[in-house]
Amino acid sequence: MGALDGLKIADFSWVGAGPRATKDLADNGATVIKIESHKRLDLGRRSPPFAGDPSDVDGSAFFAQTNTSKKSVTINLGDRRGVEIAKKLVGWADVVVENFGPGFMERIGLDYAALKAIKSDIILASVSVAGKTGPMAGFRGYGNSAAAHSGHAALTGYPNSDPHMPPLAYGDVVAPMFLTVAILGALEFRSRTGQGQHLDVSQIEPMVQVIGDLYAQDNPLKNGNDDPAFLVHGVFPTFGEDQWIAIAVETDVQARALESALGIAADQLSPAAIASATATFDKFALFDRLSAVGVPAGPVLDGREIKDNAELIAAGHFQNPDHAILGKANMPAPPYRLSRTPWSVGPSPLLGANNREVFVEMLGLDGSEIESLIAEGTLA
Amino acid sequence: MNLLEGIRVLEIADGLTDFGGRMLSEMGADVVSVSVSGSRPEADIAIHHGKTRINADSRDAIVALARQADIVLDGQRLGDKFGLAEALSGNPETIHVLVTPFSSEGPYARRPATDLTLFALSGLMHVTGDPQSPPLKFPGRQAYVLTGIQAATAALLALYARRATGHGQQASLSAFQSATLANYREAVMYEWTGRIGRRQGNMLVRGKSGVRQIWPCKDGHVTWSMIDNPSMMRALVSVMADQGCSGELSDIDWDNTLVADTPQETIERWQAIVGAFFAENTRQQLGAWSLEKGWGLSVIAEPRDVRESEHLKVRGLFVPVTDEQTGKVINLPGPMFHCDAMDGSERVLKAPIPASQFEGWGGR
Repeated sequence: MGALDGLKIADFSWVGAGPRATKDLADNGATVIKIESHKRLDLGRRSPPFAGDPSDVDGSAFFAQTNTSKKSVTINLGDRRGVEIAKKLVGWADVVVENFGPGFMERIGLDYAALKAIKSDIILASVSVAGKTGPMAGFRGYGNSAAAHSGHAALTGYPNSDPHMPPLAYGDVVAPMFLTVAILGALEFRSRTGQGQHLDVSQIEPMVQVIGDLYAQDNPLKNGNDDPAFLVHGVFPTFGEDQWIAIAVETDVQARALESALGIAADQLSPAAIASATATFDKFALFDRLSAVGVPAGPVLDGREIKDNAELIAAGHFQNPDHAILGKANMPAPPYRLSRTPWSVGPSPLLGANNREVFVEMLGLDGSEIESLIAEGTLA
Repeated sequence: MNLLEGIRVLEIADGLTDFGGRMLSEMGADVVSVSVSGSRPEADIAIHHGKTRINADSRDAIVALARQADIVLDGQRLGDKFGLAEALSGNPETIHVLVTPFSSEGPYARRPATDLTLFALSGLMHVTGDPQSPPLKFPGRQAYVLTGIQAATAALLALYARRATGHGQQASLSAFQSATLANYREAVMYEWTGRIGRRQGNMLVRGKSGVRQIWPCKDGHVTWSMIDNPSMMRALVSVMADQGCSGELSDIDWDNTLVADTPQETIERWQAIVGAFFAENTRQQLGAWSLEKGWGLSVIAEPRDVRESEHLKVRGLFVPVTDEQTGKVINLPGPMFHCDAMDGSERVLKAPIPASQFEGWGGR
């Protein structure tokens, strides 16, 4: 059994910030029903890379990785009859997750007060760029807005350099991790008090939190790869084009070991001397050599080296559930192993794949009525 | 009342676990933190405020605390200091989250690691920075933070399961995997396209061309990109036209122009016009136009702007935290998110006390 067996999630979220949190829950055994629509397609289904035809709504590997272990139903929330069925899912659920734009849930009658009227102890988990309150509430951002508003971009890079943006939509990575923790905290609270919650997670605030240690300084400065608390803290070239290794030395013992491993004379451990020595080594061979003498080091891995990494493969970092379009492709797994309640990573759902199972078998709605609503575009 | 009121957490703080303990503390758990990696005065107040801090003067005292805890976040970056797995074998209700740099049995098992080396391994560093410069880390110690978040997640998953079954369990967590999980792009792009991502500086590369993400303006920087969004482009160009500086951009039919397929030299010419416009205006003006007109531009906030942000003040993100030993008060990020059951953590960095003298939990 998974840790969350029996937990029920109605997931209205899309793209990255919501779905990555509900992936955590689904992989751990929760039943996550993803409410989608052909009329408002999850943009994740349009995001590369694709297995074949980019117009195939079930062929995005990005979507597949973000939505493992879930079920999918199609409901047109622009249709009142669709909203009524969505309300039945709310009545079924323990947790509702959404990352709609401002005012949408209110407009369709699914704001927190309405949800509570349907189910008094419901947990509503909302994630947005700037949160639900404050002057920027409802701010519509693009991928990296939170990196700009949090100080993350300003504090990335070398002293006196321009701000530097993360190479991916990092707010869409960090915020859902906070959302998962928030939902699990609210479930613990509900089990003790019988009360639900409205959880309001922004992307900006987690992006500030992850660099919170820098805000402990009166005047936070950017240091590139340096850390003045270490004797050595940097990235050094290794043999080959664009090949690098990170080395961090915390103690004198490690410093002596590094000198010895690299053939550097005693007390000559300058960055230039280290770089000159590392440039002759293969990065993996040097990683082995330094690890063996207790010096923390890490080769700078690229996408191919991540995919093929022996440690990640041995740890089960990638799982290969069978997907109708993608086949047995790599899907990221949770980074922990729970001894009694292991996770299980299943394939992401095809769009609307679970309509009949959910509407008829689970919610007990009339089969022929559901077929009509599908034909009429309400459940589409 | 707080979400995790009454939940006892023992944290062996070695970097890997610290942010996880901070999250649980912020949610109301009673967190006792044992430092094994030495103090970092400049960062301790951000990571460890709200916790009870103890020194490991006695292994027996640490073991006794572990046996009284609901959750043990057992950071083992520097090895297994206290043998808690064995000590907890008679405590089936305890949730023991064992956090190591790598998986415990894999080819990297027991190798040393720090935040920097884990970040290098995550694949994020390879694509961060300028093409002509070495790979660059993210600010702060984010491989540790990402690991800490997963430690809190594993602990809370096990807490949920304990409610259902009555049993605790052991969770083993790899920091390498935690950091790599944040890199959602690079491995999957290679798997499906054969392309290996490279450092692009602040360029956003889509299709055949690259566009800028960072622009100097009159008093700082903004981020904006010339992406394929016709309504956004029309909204920007209309303001530029009002200001008399739109040049050839006014003549472009954005609905029938695919920026991603436009020759780079044409993009450079267009960006030069936009760049001149941004350079003549302040962050406040550009930010206000963006909000009103829908440009998708964001002002790059400096740390002082973040601290002084009206929005974040209303949200109560920064809270005054007192260092009990020095009396110094610093404004630091407090709440992780918002909900009603969130009274806030104790905003004090407590002075560490010897484990043998801590009596806060009493017997259980």
